[in-house]
Amino acid sequence: MASIISLTDVNKTYPGAVPLHVLKGINLEIESGELVAIMGASGSGKSTLLNILGILDNYDTGTYTLDGTLIRDLSENRAAELRNRLIGFVFQSFNLIGYKNAQENVALPLYYQGIGRRKRNILAMEQLERMGLADRAHHLPGELSGGQKQRVAIARALITKPSLILADEPTGALDSKTSREVMEVFRQLNDDGMTIVIVTHDPGVAAQCKRTIRISDGLIVPDNSSIILPPDPDA
Amino acid sequence: MLDLINEIRQTLTNNRLRTILTGISVAWGIFMLIILVSMSRGVFNAFESQMSSSTSATIEIYSGTTTMAHGGFKEGRRVRLNARDIPEIVAAHPDMVDEVHSTLSVDTAKVETPTDYTSQGLYGAFPGSRDLNRCKIIAGRTLNHADNSEKRRSLLLEKRNAELLFGSADNAVGQTVKSMGLAWNVVGVFQHDWDRDNYVPFNTLMQIANNGDGYVWRLSVLAPGMKDEEDGKKLEQDLRATMARLKNFSPDDSGGVWIYNRFTSYLSSRAGLGYLDIAIWVIGILTMLSGIIGVSNIMFVSVRERTHEIGIRRAIGAKPRSIMGQVVAESVVITTLFGYIGVVMGMALTEVATKLIEGNATIGQAIQNPTVDLSIAVKVTVVLIISGALAGLAPAIKATKVKPVEALRDE
Repeated sequence: MASIISLTDVNKTYPGAVPLHVLKGINLEIESGELVAIMGASGSGKSTLLNILGILDNYDTGTYTLDGTLIRDLSENRAAELRNRLIGFVFQSFNLIGYKNAQENVALPLYYQGIGRRKRNILAMEQLERMGLADRAHHLPGELSGGQKQRVAIARALITKPSLILADEPTGALDSKTSREVMEVFRQLNDDGMTIVIVTHDPGVAAQCKRTIRISDGLIVPDNSSIILPPDPDA
Repeated sequence: MLDLINEIRQTLTNNRLRTILTGISVAWGIFMLIILVSMSRGVFNAFESQMSSSTSATIEIYSGTTTMAHGGFKEGRRVRLNARDIPEIVAAHPDMVDEVHSTLSVDTAKVETPTDYTSQGLYGAFPGSRDLNRCKIIAGRTLNHADNSEKRRSLLLEKRNAELLFGSADNAVGQTVKSMGLAWNVVGVFQHDWDRDNYVPFNTLMQIANNGDGYVWRLSVLAPGMKDEEDGKKLEQDLRATMARLKNFSPDDSGGVWIYNRFTSYLSSRAGLGYLDIAIWVIGILTMLSGIIGVSNIMFVSVRERTHEIGIRRAIGAKPRSIMGQVVAESVVITTLFGYIGVVMGMALTEVATKLIEGNATIGQAIQNPTVDLSIAVKVTVVLIISGALAGLAPAIKATKVKPVEALRDE
């Protein structure tokens, strides 16, 4: 199966009085249709990795290819276009716009594609129906439960038919029952062929994924816990 | 476009109080601009009305006293003006001078009917003179050139006098009255705020009172040929030379006659009002700017408060120019919408003021028709749209600088 995500020797350092080398030569292949969990302790670099995967942040060296497109030195406009077309984001804190109702929140990515309001609303309604939230379409986020909010966020992530869903601690703000429901949604989407990458520190969530990638101190940790070192540039 | 309007509507109504408070500052600024400009126009209109072109192109000559010995006469000689000077002045300046007016008055002259009489002043005036122009005709007609040149015994009766003698203004027209021992035909009735004197043709009164050539205290030289200040000053010099020749005093003697150049004075006052107009525009625009700076300030706050929302929008595909466009459009909408409210309120108030002033002659002397025309309202609207865009530009640029990853962390 073809790789949708391909990272080769990706490094990221945050400048400062004491530069912080956060990602130390990450090599990662994720194939289309995978359901992957990225686990790691706080400060391990997993959020930085997610931001780079989501084209929300740049990396310093190495190469990152997303769905065949080299993600490197992109303009802000091009990055926005690729985020809109290729990636659906699901965040821990839902990140819905408070004064827009569920349907409007779901439809928003299509607004930035220049799609007309009528068509946007139809497509948004389809996604909400898929999430079982058709009856909540005209409710504001403040009128929805945590689980409903997250399902609205998932509907928004799906509406552009992306190649990849990136979820950052999607169950972090939910109770156990709702977490299970959200993970069930992800599993169903994955069964339908959607590639999903979930960043989590919850082993229970990771256990429901088909593959777990552990990251520690900026490095990918293999299942046998032996660290894969990056290629030695001096070798 | 409809989508953008809807986005803006949602954002503005989501922050209703802030939007309204910001809008009020803009509306107030524009309102003050309209009021100031319309008042300035009102003062200008009153000035123009009082100094209408026929009377503004005038140089007035008053009798004086010589300060230099000349032609065998000692200095200190009183120079008196005569009715016969009038045709001499016209003949001396055929290119520039159309007419010369003067007035002659009889302090108390009875105007009688067989049953009643009134004792008021009797004024001899030229048709088209400032004195007659101030009289508002309410019945019949005013004095005309034929009345004056043919020395007709035509009389213009003041309204209260007409009511006393004939019961009403309409009844008076065409009636015969007796004054200075002669019969006069009442050709019209006028209304005046304070003047109760009656008017007759200058030449007629001069003939009756002084056998055609008596002294007059003022000569008003009407010279519509004057186009600019240079013309005005030159004619003033020429008139002094003419008067020096007619009255036999030195052309260098500034005391022989006293000349008031109403034309150059009018030009100076007009220029002064022009500066006043500019000053009022500057003050008004600065007031408006303070409102617009307020919009810019609020848009900065808005961008700061919405950093997280901007981060979400950027994450799901909003391009920087889309964010920028929305912030600028919000600023333009606030500025234009509330600015227009200010324009409408300002214009409504000036319309009300115009109605009130119309009924008040005293205020009407200082301010007339204090309104701004539609072209100014259109210009202000264009300025508002541009100002709104400029006010939103800096906050919009700031919004595009927000890094999505940092913005998403901002709560």
